[in-house]
Amino acid sequence: MKVTFPHLGNAYIPLEALLQGLGHEPVTPPLGSKNTLEWGSRHSPEDTCLPFKIVLGNMLEGLNLGADCIYMLGGWGPCRLGYYGEIQRIILEDLGKDAEFITLEVPKGNYSLAWERLRKIFGPAKAGKFFGGCLLFWAKLKVLEEMETLALKTRPRERQKGSTSKLLQQQLKRLQDLQSMQGIEKMRLASKEAFRDLTDSSLPTEILRIGLLGEVYTVVEPFANLQIEERLGYLGVEVVRTISLKAWIEDHIFKNALGLYNLKKLKSSAKGYLRGFIGGHGLESVARSVDLAREGFGGIIHILPLSCMPEIVAQGILPEVSTKEKIPILSLVVDEHSGETGFQTRLEAFVDLLQRRQQTLCPTKKKVYT
Amino acid sequence: MRGCLTIQKVGIPSALYYFYYHPLWRCFFAELGLEPIFSPPTNQEILARGLSSCVDGACLPVKAYVGHCQTLAEQGLELLFIPEIISLFKGEYICPNFMGLRDLVKQYLPPSIRLLSPVLDARKGRGAVSRAYWHMGREFALLPKVKRAWRRAVSEQQTFVLAQQAQLAESSSSKRLNILLLGPRYLVDDQFLNGNLSEKLGLLDARVFTAAQLADVVSWNANSMLSKRLFWTGARRSIGALEHLTKRLDGVITMAPFGCGAESLLGTVIDQRIKANHLGKLELNIDEHTSELGMLTRLEAFCDLLERKKVL
Repeated sequence: MKVTFPHLGNAYIPLEALLQGLGHEPVTPPLGSKNTLEWGSRHSPEDTCLPFKIVLGNMLEGLNLGADCIYMLGGWGPCRLGYYGEIQRIILEDLGKDAEFITLEVPKGNYSLAWERLRKIFGPAKAGKFFGGCLLFWAKLKVLEEMETLALKTRPRERQKGSTSKLLQQQLKRLQDLQSMQGIEKMRLASKEAFRDLTDSSLPTEILRIGLLGEVYTVVEPFANLQIEERLGYLGVEVVRTISLKAWIEDHIFKNALGLYNLKKLKSSAKGYLRGFIGGHGLESVARSVDLAREGFGGIIHILPLSCMPEIVAQGILPEVSTKEKIPILSLVVDEHSGETGFQTRLEAFVDLLQRRQQTLCPTKKKVYT
Repeated sequence: MRGCLTIQKVGIPSALYYFYYHPLWRCFFAELGLEPIFSPPTNQEILARGLSSCVDGACLPVKAYVGHCQTLAEQGLELLFIPEIISLFKGEYICPNFMGLRDLVKQYLPPSIRLLSPVLDARKGRGAVSRAYWHMGREFALLPKVKRAWRRAVSEQQTFVLAQQAQLAESSSSKRLNILLLGPRYLVDDQFLNGNLSEKLGLLDARVFTAAQLADVVSWNANSMLSKRLFWTGARRSIGALEHLTKRLDGVITMAPFGCGAESLLGTVIDQRIKANHLGKLELNIDEHTSELGMLTRLEAFCDLLERKKVL
């Protein structure tokens, strides 16, 4: 089957490997663009959130490239993501698109349907190839994360503006084509070197650090957050992303499905602010902001799509965290009308404020401007 | 607290789940020997208070809820009942906005106020909700008394629910139009927030059905017929009511606060049903800027259309 799937950051690279291992032909939709969003929002219900619209756009573009099957994540609430697949299936059906729609979720109740789905997913798989695909998937995911983290560290310290992003894109392209574990390992080591070469060693090692957290899709998908990581990097800020794809897949998909996902640590961090799980990444947002504040971060940027239910609660609680833990927090709401210039201005103002604040708090540190 | 001579007062905001459970709460607290004080029905002053303090991403009913809590706090009450509702039925959730409601509201209130907030989570198994109430009640009375109070409160609630369901059977053929009003009850029943919608519809000679008039069994059945079960209680009830009443209806009005997550998805499912059954549909999104007059115009136009359709 020709399978397409929505984008989530750079997850398409490991996903392609996994799908090939399953014996499918992956059809990766083009990366998010204005066209994607326009298409997606034209056919979406008006007040669904930005991720829904981009995801629907991805699906439509994937189908246009000749895919005949769509994979989408599902779930059973309380976040809306759980029902997105079903609504998107209805919308595509109404548009007359003749495609198989497979929602990946823990079956509840309807087991015959779940069996049918499993057969379709694993039907063409051969044991050896599937195993290889899984290994590749995991290895690529790990290397991908590592490179992204490296890029976040390197960008504010690069000698030539834009060189980090360029290198990252090159490496990602190479990673996509690699088919052997040895090759991936070799590439991992090589890219570590390459990133180090870009660094300007004359800059002080300690520069302003900002934690990025919020709703997983808007944090991970650069198209949804208007490349916030790059923008901050160019402003001379080291961005630390508290949400990683790998951890998300481990925690929210595997462990959650098996009932092993443990909130104890998060709950103890969020103590006094939020009592428990509120769906999506709401608890994480609050807990991680407290953690980051205690780790001595310069500031926090909380990013969420308009009308995201769990994050609104987090957004309401974060000002309290900000006052009590003494850390500036900026909540950014994104939707399809977010303007780039306004976004940039707000980021610049926030970073200015943080740099000045850090200077007053600890004047010994050298001021960093790029 | 036990053994106090003066009767302790507990404040209950008349918003959100008040509209579902007020008989239960009233009776339970009264039986425990407390005096339940309800905030007045939503009005301009209460709403304005909520709007000025609550986080702007929240929906209108949540903002009103904050206003209610602040009003109660200003009346000098020291104990507020703000339940933390996670799930009311097994395998279902309510809106995630309400899960952290206690923690959201807490920061808008003076720190001296104590919040009574049992965690109501029906996913934890049969009896989990009653146990949460008992646990809360133990603070004010001994367990046997708490259990007795709970039993009485539940039977009060049952009478209230049955009385609502009895409205469905009433025959009122005198009305020209039959309209189903869907939406969360804290909006549909709050006459101030929805701009007196049901009265306006009554003046336009329409009979209004709501999802509250149907038993849960009906909507569970309807829900299991969907290709994917809905996991929000409110959405499940709406779709159940629509399925059950389709034959008797002329039109459907869906009402949602602006930015309501669950309703935005439910809309697509409802549209599917409405198209298949050739019903009329009016979508009302309500926020703090909604004008009552504009809404009246839309309602009049909608009813006119329905009538014309009926003649054709």
